[in-house]
Amino acid sequence: MADMVGLVHRLLMASLTAWQVTGHVQRDADRITLTAGARSLLIARGVPPFRWAVTVAGRDRGVTSIAGLLRMVRRVVNPDHQTSRLRIAPSRLVPP
Amino acid sequence: MIPVYVLTGFLGSGKTTLLGRLLKSPEFARTAVIINELGEIGLDHDLIETSDESFVMLQTGCLCCTIRSDLVLTLADILRRRDEGTVTPFDRVVIETSGLADPAPILHALMSDDGLAERLMLAGVVTTVDAVHGAETLGKQPESVKQAAVADRLVLTKTDLIAESPSALADRLAALNPSAPVLPACFGDIDPARLFDARIWDPSGKLTALADEPHQDHRAHDHNRHDGRIKCFALIRDRPIPAVALTLFLEVLAEHCGADLLRLKGIVDIAESPDRPAVIHGVQHVFHPPAFLDRWPSDDHHSRLVFIARDLPREFAEALLDAIEAEVRETTRSD
Repeated sequence: MADMVGLVHRLLMASLTAWQVTGHVQRDADRITLTAGARSLLIARGVPPFRWAVTVAGRDRGVTSIAGLLRMVRRVVNPDHQTSRLRIAPSRLVPP
Repeated sequence: MIPVYVLTGFLGSGKTTLLGRLLKSPEFARTAVIINELGEIGLDHDLIETSDESFVMLQTGCLCCTIRSDLVLTLADILRRRDEGTVTPFDRVVIETSGLADPAPILHALMSDDGLAERLMLAGVVTTVDAVHGAETLGKQPESVKQAAVADRLVLTKTDLIAESPSALADRLAALNPSAPVLPACFGDIDPARLFDARIWDPSGKLTALADEPHQDHRAHDHNRHDGRIKCFALIRDRPIPAVALTLFLEVLAEHCGADLLRLKGIVDIAESPDRPAVIHGVQHVFHPPAFLDRWPSDDHHSRLVFIARDLPREFAEALLDAIEAEVRETTRSD
């Protein structure tokens, strides 16, 4: 069984670097605290159907996936980021 | 499908000389060339002689800035004229970019236009690098770094002007784009077959080059020593990747790093398709649909994902794939 909290902890640390956001990510047993400037998030495993529970500014929110978790974290720590969506090209990679 | 090749390279690096030589060779007959020049009056198209079976069109303005309209319209126009029989029925298209063009939006446009996708196929990127000034240019001009980073073939030009192969430049190119072969050319003299035999979907190209390296660690390679913001690295996985994990991984990459993902190529061992690997290719946030090969091209069945990106740490890509794979496996178990 993978240590999901450990994997997410590592991912969040790498994410701050990738997003060039100065901050700190700390794991305490089954909880992760992410702090960037004045903003802080508390992340823990969620209750199904939510896989993750995120507390921001005293409000609890459920997130269904790591993709959703990263999206929420980024909105908080890097609100000016303009996201782009994966687009599948109409052109083929190989000739038909 | 008509293959489209992008010929790029910094100002004065020998693109037009190379193209001029290529267009004189019989193997390169029936080629439509689109030349982009900055400024309102172009000269390059007048400097190129072609056979009767090829033709050259000029486009002014910066291709990477006006890409959505001008290039797409130009390509649609030559296809229409080909259908009408008013131009040679060309078998390939070469787009020569201006020396200052960022190639990523050009590749992006070629991949993402619905109308062009039915007829044209991005087939490869060739980048010229000046053997004399190339190292200095790479140090000063960010566009030249991007041009070299996205290449399938690097052509070292003006080799007649130097006494010996410039090792600093070779090292730099190897660090920036380790799997693009570097081909020397003097006055544009080069075998067209070596230049345009690259296929972005062909796993015998970049991916094999990376796979051939000795694996100290089968999980990742980092080829960067001193190239600043643009980096090339590979993730290598020894376990099959569930299809949904790969999809989620690409979605998150596109969402968070799309603009900085210059190119991503990969051959992937999909868990649901053990005998037929998937080849993936993306530019920025636009990806081709995966192409499933009939068989593995070699005995190496590891998934290999090659990233060329700006400000994208390998640790992020690796941690992201690890976490998403684990989540997908956990979800699958609990179903």
